[in-house]
Amino acid sequence: MLQVQNIEKYYGSRNNVTKALDRVSFNVDAGEFLAIMGASGSGKTTLLNCISTIDTISAGKILLDGVSISDLSESELAKFRRERLGFVFQDFNLLDTLTVEENIGLALTLNHTDPNAVQNKVREVAGKLGITDILGKFPYQVSGGQKQRTACARAMVAGQSLILADEPTGALDSRASKNLLEIMSAINRDPGATILMVTHDAYSASYAGRVLFLKDGRVFNELLRGERGRSVFYHEILDVLAALGGDVSDVI
Amino acid sequence: MTLSKLSLRNAKRQARDYMVYFVTVVMSAALLYAFNGLVFSQEIISLQSSMDSLPLMIVLASIVVVCVFGWLVAYATGFMLLRRSRELGTYLLIGLENRQVARLFFLENLAVGGCSLALGLVLGALLYQTFRAIILTLFGLPYRFTLGLSLPATALTAFYFALIYLHALRRNRKRIRKMKIYDLIYFDRQNEGIVVQTGRKRRWIFSVSIVLGVIGTLLLTAGNMFLGVIGAGCIILFLFGFFLSFASGVPGYFDRKPARKYRGQNLLVFRTLTAKLATMGIVMSVISMIFAATLMTEGSGLVFHGLFRGRAAESACFDLYFGIEGETQNPEPYLDYIAENIPVEQSLLYRVYLTGSPQVQDFISSRTVYYYYNYHQDTVLRWSDYAALRAIAGYPPAEPEPGRYLIHCMTYLEETLQNYTRSITLGGTTLTPGSIYTEHLYQSYGVANGRGYILVVPDDATQGLDIHHLSYAAKTSEPVTAAQYEALNDITKAKDNLMTDPEAYAFVTTKADEDAQVAAMTALSVFPLFFLALALTMTAATILTIQQLSESDRYQRQFELLRKLGMDRREMAAALRTQFAIYYTMPAVPSILIGIPFILNLAKTPEPGVMVGASSPAAIVCIALCIFFLIYAVYILLAYTSLRRNVLPGNR
Repeated sequence: MLQVQNIEKYYGSRNNVTKALDRVSFNVDAGEFLAIMGASGSGKTTLLNCISTIDTISAGKILLDGVSISDLSESELAKFRRERLGFVFQDFNLLDTLTVEENIGLALTLNHTDPNAVQNKVREVAGKLGITDILGKFPYQVSGGQKQRTACARAMVAGQSLILADEPTGALDSRASKNLLEIMSAINRDPGATILMVTHDAYSASYAGRVLFLKDGRVFNELLRGERGRSVFYHEILDVLAALGGDVSDVI
Repeated sequence: MTLSKLSLRNAKRQARDYMVYFVTVVMSAALLYAFNGLVFSQEIISLQSSMDSLPLMIVLASIVVVCVFGWLVAYATGFMLLRRSRELGTYLLIGLENRQVARLFFLENLAVGGCSLALGLVLGALLYQTFRAIILTLFGLPYRFTLGLSLPATALTAFYFALIYLHALRRNRKRIRKMKIYDLIYFDRQNEGIVVQTGRKRRWIFSVSIVLGVIGTLLLTAGNMFLGVIGAGCIILFLFGFFLSFASGVPGYFDRKPARKYRGQNLLVFRTLTAKLATMGIVMSVISMIFAATLMTEGSGLVFHGLFRGRAAESACFDLYFGIEGETQNPEPYLDYIAENIPVEQSLLYRVYLTGSPQVQDFISSRTVYYYYNYHQDTVLRWSDYAALRAIAGYPPAEPEPGRYLIHCMTYLEETLQNYTRSITLGGTTLTPGSIYTEHLYQSYGVANGRGYILVVPDDATQGLDIHHLSYAAKTSEPVTAAQYEALNDITKAKDNLMTDPEAYAFVTTKADEDAQVAAMTALSVFPLFFLALALTMTAATILTIQQLSESDRYQRQFELLRKLGMDRREMAAALRTQFAIYYTMPAVPSILIGIPFILNLAKTPEPGVMVGASSPAAIVCIALCIFFLIYAVYILLAYTSLRRNVLPGNR
């Protein structure tokens, strides 16, 4: 579904170039739940931004269903983002002037969905994510976990095929994190949504089917969960992180 | 860093963030100075005797303007204080005392105020020259540019400014002294809480206010004064009800019709507006009232101007004119004075006759609503006198029409009299209707060439007719001076020499005096009224604009997110435009609903025939609306370009 081929990303001026991504390549299959891990500054958010077309790449190619996204025009990119991509951010990024229902409905409005169908679609997704009770509330009236579930609902309500999550549990307590990750696993299984999640939290990553490790802008390692249990996978992730040389206390 | 350096730095930043406000304060200083310049200008005041009241009129207007600007500055500084709560909280957190923070705020506002005053004085000196040029042109005098700062005008402006600022700063000092760190640091959260207002009561108010708005509009357009006043009351109630309940009423409506909410950009536009109006309902109502007041003030100014000009146009068609009522008159005292003192090029002493019947007058009064009668019969001029009068007034000669009578009337009666087809019989001669002429011929007053109209008949048809008054019209080679006019008026006062009938009436008018009166009355009424209107529009538009621009950060975050979610840039710009248009239209609509009927009614009050052409009620409404929207548009454009630049992604 997604092919990342030798992408590079440089920042800065001619005399002071920082290489944020260095020949990164990997594929994501449809229906996969992939986590990208790395310490702060390893390039994981830059990678996510490049895939989500918010940022541009300096070299290489990103293909989604065979289409190179770097060849698309500004308006085609906008269309691509609203139709194909769903976003879940660390700080929720909900509009505080809209209710939970309206925040979710916003994704449908942007896609020019039939206005008569919006409310039903929103309620259907809200039911799956267990946020029906709070649909009439404003973001500042609900908990962090509920906000993040609202963001998840917005990321999938318009039938987006790839959900990009940037540290989705970063601002949540452990209980809310667990709840959210279970929901993400569920939407990965049931409607078969493809999820690409950036995290530096090993616990969050253990919910994924595959983990890519980034270090200094390069793919350092890759770990497949296969048939193993989640706790076994979690420990394996911790081992890789230790080998990565980062501060373990920083990544747990 | 010392406190004063910090103040200066904050003042600079404040000036950048609130450019529109800063410009308005500079403009207010300039306006105050320019008008104060008129108060202290001997050159202007000595132009005409009635110009003595100009300083009083301007000082009265200035008091209102100082109050209005005082409100603006108090509102804007208070608003900035709230927006900077977190920053001020941080000062308190790092150990500054409330007293010191208050001082900091005072100093930086003093810096902003001081700079505005200095810039305003420079601009005001230029503006004063513009006003001077306008007034001198009104009086038909030559204008020469001179630049200088009047000391008393500067002192008075500084005094007004001190009042405006000290009032605002005193209020804020009190507020800062009472502030608590917690409230300041968590201010943002309190603000968000207010966004939700979904009380049932408010929804009920919303529905009632909409009904009142519709009733008010219908009553205002009914054209009846009494109903109009009730209508205006309904609109005012609608105004407060609507703006106070908008944030609950509209979501209520959309709850019932969710499909409408999700159509196009409705969701974003209406939610942004409800969030904004939830916290500024009262301010929005007040702004709307200010706009209504602006339109009324501008309309009144234009009506007064039209009234003076319209009356003068009719009265000032002859360089010199006098009339003496009654059958037996003695014009000699006037004629002697004129012969000795006034260089006359062409003159005519003539009589205005009565037909003995009011048949044309009856016809007019059956068709025209407003008509004032000065004569109880139709008035008549001899053809030869009429032809001479046209020559004196400088009009092209009229064609004689044997067997017919001509009508010379004021423009507003032309259409009515075109339908008059009856013939008249005078001393055995029957005359049929002929042409109609409508130039100004002094047809407004008691000893004039008829009231609104006069019939012009062959000379011999006037044989045996009663004389209503004796008239004299002259073309002079130089304008009649104020002193000469005074001397002629003195002759009028000693009227025993002019006529035998003690009840009779005499009147003198000169073109020069009429023109000077128009100039003086225009300066006395129009200048202060427009001064007021300008101050009101600027204040209201500034408050709307700083409210809108203060949301830049929030809008920026919102549009950044929308961009990530895949909203097209064109759609974003359209949403911003729609939201902007509604935000700025909302307070203007009720004021237009109140303002237009008010102006129309006021413009219809003067005697008929005066408010015509560019001063007709409809033209005055159009001009008032144009002036209002021109100033308003400047603010809207400033706010829109600034917001678009700051908010839409890809523009920064």
